[in-house]
Amino acid sequence: MKQHNLERPLIMHIDLNSCFATVEQQARPMLRGKPVAIVNRRTEHTAIVTASYEAKAKGVKVGMKLREARALCPGIIALESDPSKYRYVYHKLLDIMRDYSAHVTMKSIDEGVIDFHHTSADVRGRDLVEIAHEIKRRLREEIGVWMRCNIGIAPNRFLAKTAAGLNKPDGLNVLTSHNIRTVLGELRLIDLTGIAERNQRRLNAVGIYTPLQFLDADVVTLQRMVFKSVVGRWWYDRLRGWEVDDVSSDVKRVGRQYVLERFDLSYEEILGRLHHLCESVGWRLRSQYKSARGVYVYGKTRERQYWHSSTLSSLPFSSDKTIYILARQLFEQAPDQLKEIGIHVYAIEPIIDQQLSLFSDQIVRERQVTGAIDTLNRRFGERTVHSAHTLASGLYVSQKIPFGSTRYL
Amino acid sequence: MNDETFLQERVEVIARFSQGHQPCYPVRFRRASGREIEVSELGLRHPLPTGNKTIHIFDVTDGGADYRLEFDSERLIWHLTMEADHYEAA
Repeated sequence: MKQHNLERPLIMHIDLNSCFATVEQQARPMLRGKPVAIVNRRTEHTAIVTASYEAKAKGVKVGMKLREARALCPGIIALESDPSKYRYVYHKLLDIMRDYSAHVTMKSIDEGVIDFHHTSADVRGRDLVEIAHEIKRRLREEIGVWMRCNIGIAPNRFLAKTAAGLNKPDGLNVLTSHNIRTVLGELRLIDLTGIAERNQRRLNAVGIYTPLQFLDADVVTLQRMVFKSVVGRWWYDRLRGWEVDDVSSDVKRVGRQYVLERFDLSYEEILGRLHHLCESVGWRLRSQYKSARGVYVYGKTRERQYWHSSTLSSLPFSSDKTIYILARQLFEQAPDQLKEIGIHVYAIEPIIDQQLSLFSDQIVRERQVTGAIDTLNRRFGERTVHSAHTLASGLYVSQKIPFGSTRYL
Repeated sequence: MNDETFLQERVEVIARFSQGHQPCYPVRFRRASGREIEVSELGLRHPLPTGNKTIHIFDVTDGGADYRLEFDSERLIWHLTMEADHYEAA
């Protein structure tokens, strides 16, 4: 039986509390202490992206419709998201974290991990709890007095994140083999990052109903009966403080989605929005110096039906025009009554100039035009040059907060 | 929803430039109407890159309302672009 990892905890997870709402309350002092919801669009049907702690105290949850939130909390103030503000705070947080270690990984726009294993002797010689307090103080001094964060310190990334989820807001917790049973004893399975309903059902099926039972389960049960793969071994190690999550992932797909601003848009108007999404996806793809070979489009109807279609090309592409041509062909089969559309490109590979074929002239010309447009947009601002077809959609389909990946921040 | 008013009003601003985390701090500004507003707190300053140009956005308050001032670092001019004097139920 493998023992707990007994080394000094050197992983620190930092999570900005209710990030976007807190940043708005920082920026606008009159909002402090009031229930605030951040939405991507101020309509009745819009979903809440972030709620302030004052709103959460009234039962408002992320993902809830604004209308439902208003029923629970009549005084709630809805603000449209302001990505440039959050991007700035993200970079300030990143700068602070990098002062302590070169090994910093941002997990999303509002949370990141500092690995102190390979940092300087001066930093390693310090008490990490003291550094955590210092980071909290620096957030308040360098960004603003309203900024708060939760910090977790543990021997591995999973336990550090778990610790950062305790005592919100403004918590600071250290999770080691000494207190893991106490902490896990107070949590539910679905409180653990990576355990959602499906994994919970798998665990329940073998009689595991609590995190403590999960911790006590043997590796054979987890590997052969619960997860039926090496994932079971990873969970066994993860819960004991051994690192299994220090992995970087390559870009596998680049995409965007959009909930239609009205449900009575004509097919041509919806195509305009799809085209706009294709331009965003192309811009993101090329910003990573990547091309793709596949396009996947989907639509969700008002009757909750999910439609999708995809195509794989033999040649790589990265221009907005090609992405849109392929997406539009697929979209001809889309159902009526759409309320949401989305596109992503896949089979991602690096852009290689030598990779030319019989169609090289056409590809080179298209690449040069796309490159010229990108140069203009970088110099004069995003969407200075774009298709005339997306003129009407620019007001609605503007860039919103990129959750998950921090590649485009 | 709330009482935000979006504007594009040229304003005159007295700002303090100094060392520290807030190297530029708008202290007072005069609106087109002649009304002067004393800034009691700078909530947040953040840059908004627009191509090669950067606009600096200052969210400030006078204790009674929140304001958004934008400084065009290329043309060296200030605009008041948002005023939110109180917030009502959404």
